[in-house]
Amino acid sequence: MKKKLLTLVLAGAMVFSMAMSGCGSSNSQETDTQTEKESDKETVENVEAVIDVPDEVTKGGELNIALVSSPKNLDPVKYTGTYESQIIYQVCDTIVTYDMEMKEILPSLATEWTISDDGMVYTFTIRDDVYFQPGEYQDGRKMTAEDVAYSLNRSAQESALNRLDMLDHAEALDETHVQATLKAPSAVFLTALTNSGNVVVPKEEVEGWGDEFGNHLVGTGPYALEEFSLDQQAVLVKNENYFLGEPNLDKVVFKVITDQNQEVNALRTGEIDIATQLSGESVKLVAEDDSVNLLKIPGMQISYAYFNMVNGPTADPKVREALIMAVDYEELAAGVFQYGEGEAACLPLPKASWGYDESVEADVPSYDPEGAKKLLEEAGYGDGFTLNMYVTNENFRQKAATILQSYWKMIGVDLEINTVEWGTFSETGASGKADVFAMGWSWYPDPYFFLDKMFATSSIGTLGNGQGYSNAEVDQLLADALIETDQDKRAEIYHEALKLITDDDPGIFYGNPSECLGINPKVQDFHQRADGTIKLFTTEENVWVVQ
Amino acid sequence: MLKTILKRILQSIPTLFIVITITFVLTRMIPGNPALTMLGPQAPKESVEQLEQELGLDKSKGEQYIMYLKQILSGDFGRSYSYNQSVVELIMERVPNTLVITLTSLFIALILGMIVGIVSAVRQYSILDYIFMVLALIGVSMPIFWMGLMLVLLFSVNLGWLPAMGMGDPANGMWDVLSHMILPCFCLATIPMATFARITRSSMLEVVNSDSVKALRARGLKEGVVIWKHALKNALPPIVTVLGLQLATAFTGAILTESIFSWPGMGTMIVSAIDNRDYALIQGVVLFTAIVFVAINLIVDVVYTIINPKVNYESGNGGR
Repeated sequence: MKKKLLTLVLAGAMVFSMAMSGCGSSNSQETDTQTEKESDKETVENVEAVIDVPDEVTKGGELNIALVSSPKNLDPVKYTGTYESQIIYQVCDTIVTYDMEMKEILPSLATEWTISDDGMVYTFTIRDDVYFQPGEYQDGRKMTAEDVAYSLNRSAQESALNRLDMLDHAEALDETHVQATLKAPSAVFLTALTNSGNVVVPKEEVEGWGDEFGNHLVGTGPYALEEFSLDQQAVLVKNENYFLGEPNLDKVVFKVITDQNQEVNALRTGEIDIATQLSGESVKLVAEDDSVNLLKIPGMQISYAYFNMVNGPTADPKVREALIMAVDYEELAAGVFQYGEGEAACLPLPKASWGYDESVEADVPSYDPEGAKKLLEEAGYGDGFTLNMYVTNENFRQKAATILQSYWKMIGVDLEINTVEWGTFSETGASGKADVFAMGWSWYPDPYFFLDKMFATSSIGTLGNGQGYSNAEVDQLLADALIETDQDKRAEIYHEALKLITDDDPGIFYGNPSECLGINPKVQDFHQRADGTIKLFTTEENVWVVQ
Repeated sequence: MLKTILKRILQSIPTLFIVITITFVLTRMIPGNPALTMLGPQAPKESVEQLEQELGLDKSKGEQYIMYLKQILSGDFGRSYSYNQSVVELIMERVPNTLVITLTSLFIALILGMIVGIVSAVRQYSILDYIFMVLALIGVSMPIFWMGLMLVLLFSVNLGWLPAMGMGDPANGMWDVLSHMILPCFCLATIPMATFARITRSSMLEVVNSDSVKALRARGLKEGVVIWKHALKNALPPIVTVLGLQLATAFTGAILTESIFSWPGMGTMIVSAIDNRDYALIQGVVLFTAIVFVAINLIVDVVYTIINPKVNYESGNGGR
């Protein structure tokens, strides 16, 4: 009885909010929608916090950063979570790195590199002025090409997530040169090298600590790990001997705050300086607070609902097209990203990726509920049918699910929503045991990490392609793009693949969530990255705080 | 006495065995593949298979169960994969953190709750009684997560008196530790405080109106002595029962409060273990909890016989 009442109230609230946002009626006037949207935007007013910033950089001080889940194992080849990388990037360095715009690959521990004509062998020139942070088993010795080769080989062989699986082996040619030989040509090798799983670590520490290395990470980075308490905090202190110079901060503390309301509260009280991964109403709270600022850029991620391509009604291309035609993407995104924490999209690649192709947008079936009904009739589903959908228990995903439910209801399709937590979702998703899945995908700007992982036949059975998408032509294009090393040519191939994929109507790729973070105005020279990675000292920035 | 205790310990073995079995079955029944859950969305198939092998998940459920039983019998609780630490170490690390706030709040709840309960009982149907009992009702029904956030909003964000989250560091002085404890302890104390108040009140009412107390009054004893010395002692058993149960839960942590205040105790660890499908850790924590419950129940029973010698377990007619 109680449950029924709750459902009724919720349904009522939903209908009301639908009516408010204008996506309930198919005849909503363009002008109406426009004003609605503008008034929506007005509700989140960004109040900028301003403080006096001295001309001179003030060195020293402490920076506190909140993580919404605890990092667990900091060993680069063993970590499997999302938040370990934030700490590993400060403590260790990669051989090459993305620039802050995530457009090109820059030197880091390697100053330059050459690629053999067949794309199989990469030769890196390594800096000779890099030292490890002192640890239990070495006293801050110089890093050599041997260490680079050791770390890459270790990752190629032991990485829990196969973060360097294209590497066959790496060897040091002399003190400053490392040669990496791949198993097969792979254009994403350099991109993979920017991953925090592929940083350079000293062999003595790895072997000395054994399984415990994950709690005592040592590298060459700007800040050294001083203390690591699970579920609590990681304390980093500056590495005076850093090869780019002296880091501006004395201390960096990553604090674990799992409750998002509390993250915002701690930001407002000054207990933390940077609140990461804001979503939903927290975005509004931070924007409207006059003591802290909101930073927002389009993220390297997409939000979508994908269809089962193998089983159930959605295996029929006409049904998929009809389901897409029944949905107004703009309105859906406006409903999901109520506080402006994301933008509408329509393709399975974030706009920030260099593989994105605007001309393909036109291939997505446009909003036409009447046409959708006709298509369903043609497909023999004139009387409607029921679909089941899996969705994780995050607020914005559930919003998307309920909005889709109401759209599809209008063409006679009932959507049964199963809200589950991550463990259950990932298993059902990877095995394709439902008709529709609502989820998100985020990775590097290289289209490989979206298109291959989500649409290659070889990815079937993983969460990326749990839907069972398989198209021989697409597979061929994806394989070609992996061998080609010229980025412009690769982009062309990916454009073609993107077009083919879009024509198959594999899902509704409605959103491009933003990376939102709250920051105390005293934090200076901080730059946000599209993938949410925090970097405190690179050739492009050296974060400091006004004292 | 010693014989009873030994007997009770022996009796607890089947209980623990059942707990082990049920936990094993339940953890296997939660949908979700641990390897896939821990490795995240981007995990390639090979990694998942490799981890399954490492965790022994590729074996049949029966084999896994027998392996687990053997492990437990040899005193090995296993190793948490997600935390990369032995389960025993993890529990030993977390229990003190949890006890700091749970015991403090329980102490506050007990003292204040009993005082309120006694006053209400003695002044039954007075204005004070009504106020206290309404407050107790509010205390029991207030959702902790809501109250926690409201307290933080008031005391941390608006007034700036207390920290919003985290555990203090003794290196920063006593105040740092205490100030971090105030809000979580207050949150945790409300529900047990209300429970104690209501239990004390009803138990006291029964005793205060009993013939024995009337007889004491008739003998001309001072009202204070009657209430605080004689009546209270007779009203204690139900309070001790509740205290025992509360004490046992104190070890298992306060999931909501710990999550809200980012307190690194047992509660946050259990949530994380379930989220990660960390079978070894879930099983270890549940078994630990079962042991604590069994032990505390035993202690409560022993204490019973001390405060109320009429209760005699050995003669077989326990209770009254």
